Amino acid sequence: MSAVIETQDLSKRYRRVTALSDCSVTVPESRICALIGPNGAGKTTLLRLLAGLARPTGGAVSVLGGAPRQDPAFLAEIGYLAQEIPLYRRLTAEDHIRAGAHLNPRWDGESARSRLRELNIALDRPVGTLSGGQRAQVALGLTLAKRPRVLLLDEPVAALDPLARRHFLGTLTAAVAEAGGELTVVLSSHLIADLERVCDHIILLTGSHVQLCGDIDALLAEHKVLVGPRKDTSSLERTHQVVHTVRTARQVTMLVRLNGSVLDPAYEASEVDLEELVLGYMGASATPAYAHLAAVGEDQ
Amino acid sequence: MTWLVWRQYRAQGAAALALLAAFAAVLVVSGLQIARQWHSVAAACTAHAAGASGCFDVSLGGSHAQLLIGLSTIVPAVLGFLWGAPLVAQEVETGTVNFAWTQSITRTRWLSVKAGWLLLAAALWGGAIGALATWWSGPRNALYQEQFQPGHFDIQGIVPIGYAVFATALGVAAGAVLRRTLVAIAVTIGGFTAVRLLISLVVRPHYLAAVTAYYKPMAGYSPPGSAWVVSEGVIDKHGHVYVGDAAALVNGVPVTAVPASCRSLLYAGPDTLTRTHLQQAVSCMQAGGFRGFTTYQPASHYWPFQGIETGIFLALAAGLLAVTFAVVRNRDA
Repeated sequence: MSAVIETQDLSKRYRRVTALSDCSVTVPESRICALIGPNGAGKTTLLRLLAGLARPTGGAVSVLGGAPRQDPAFLAEIGYLAQEIPLYRRLTAEDHIRAGAHLNPRWDGESARSRLRELNIALDRPVGTLSGGQRAQVALGLTLAKRPRVLLLDEPVAALDPLARRHFLGTLTAAVAEAGGELTVVLSSHLIADLERVCDHIILLTGSHVQLCGDIDALLAEHKVLVGPRKDTSSLERTHQVVHTVRTARQVTMLVRLNGSVLDPAYEASEVDLEELVLGYMGASATPAYAHLAAVGEDQ
Repeated sequence: MTWLVWRQYRAQGAAALALLAAFAAVLVVSGLQIARQWHSVAAACTAHAAGASGCFDVSLGGSHAQLLIGLSTIVPAVLGFLWGAPLVAQEVETGTVNFAWTQSITRTRWLSVKAGWLLLAAALWGGAIGALATWWSGPRNALYQEQFQPGHFDIQGIVPIGYAVFATALGVAAGAVLRRTLVAIAVTIGGFTAVRLLISLVVRPHYLAAVTAYYKPMAGYSPPGSAWVVSEGVIDKHGHVYVGDAAALVNGVPVTAVPASCRSLLYAGPDTLTRTHLQQAVSCMQAGGFRGFTTYQPASHYWPFQGIETGIFLALAAGLLAVTFAVVRNRDA
């Protein structure tokens, strides 16, 4: 099976708001997919639809070849970690690990224990008394102990300090390596730098729409920043897709998705990195949320 | 799943057990005291005719114990909001449904196990309190024959089990539908009180056909045993019924409804109403076709009523659980 996750015009409407509209994305097997977008773009909604915690109001969603459903066999394949790190605050990590053993067919409690011990996280203290970073590690440990084939992580590092974030992502990449190509991950976050380090696939959502979906390296190769004299750009736009344009008094800077090569020597082409790509598309989408995300990006 | 339920609720379970033990201890002490008191008056009572006035003067147990036993009326509601309401609502509020509903078990299974154990615990709790109250009330039932009366019927026998299961199911359903623990608690307390009042005041008197006895006005009538008098009063020859109005009445009949010819007999003498005048007026009414009546549920209906009422509450609980399952299965987490 090549596409582990596939959605077709997937939509989710709540009473008044449209959380996700006409979302068509594909994530092949064994990818670590970054799910990026400003607050309210629909990231959480998409992850919840994939996990079967919410039902679509339109379109189709397929995970591991079938619609997400309340069925033990399907649920056993899915690891889901919600943004608010939901754990029973009065129960200890050990309690959670033992509960997991009762609730899942293939449960690797021992590796969860040893991972938490390595990080010096107390197994016998109520998780409510642990720090945010430790709680996130416990929750990730539990999610991985399920030995899922699809791991859905909703902003798991948002609340963590840089060191805890590094530990968390370290645990994640180690688990992916351990799984040997059997594990597909979708990871949402605001922090593009973190995602760039671990992800090889991207879904960019803004204002409930998909802006971009694909292999990161391929997308980076397809896109260039062109800097040239301020002149008529319409001939360029005829061949290539201009994603975002910034004009100053004398020159113009454009993020362009290339269709072939740029023949006009007036433009100087340079490589883009993930952050430029993402911000370019968010600017192009011209949603008010863009300003917010840019501010968040600068904060961190 | 059972393991998780046990781990989640063992502290609450221990607290509930401690509370039950404390309540039981107080009731046992008080109950033994009542039993001693009963033995000492039993001889005196049997010396007189059964139900002689001397027996009724004895206050078995005293007011403290009666207050305490009255507390067991609210036990089901407490179970409902303490155990029932948070069952789904709290997990939604804290987000732990996202953990529970993404383990390899269906939501149906999750709810069955959780609600199943909780309802069983509620039934045992309700049954235990009910059994204690029944034992405690033994001497009082023998003396006052009050077990069929509203307020006594409700804390003895098997109905406490029905109430406890219903209140817990109501809490669970309210929590699942409303998804907020505090709101669910309010709805549970309000809903339980409303349903209990509605059933006991409006529905219960009609579970089985009542028996009506007719007699000379003023004569009065005590149905045998621990019967429950549903209504009593006077009925005239046209079938018009006079009940209850305590002010200005002749044996339940408003003075204004007493035929003029009889009414004059009431005030024939001095200002005060004498017994003789009253009896003359009553005889006059009897001649005019007035009859006293007492409608009651005979003592033999006690256990059928207990069964019917328990069945009603268990059926309501089943309906609420069906709603809860549908909501949990079909709504987004």
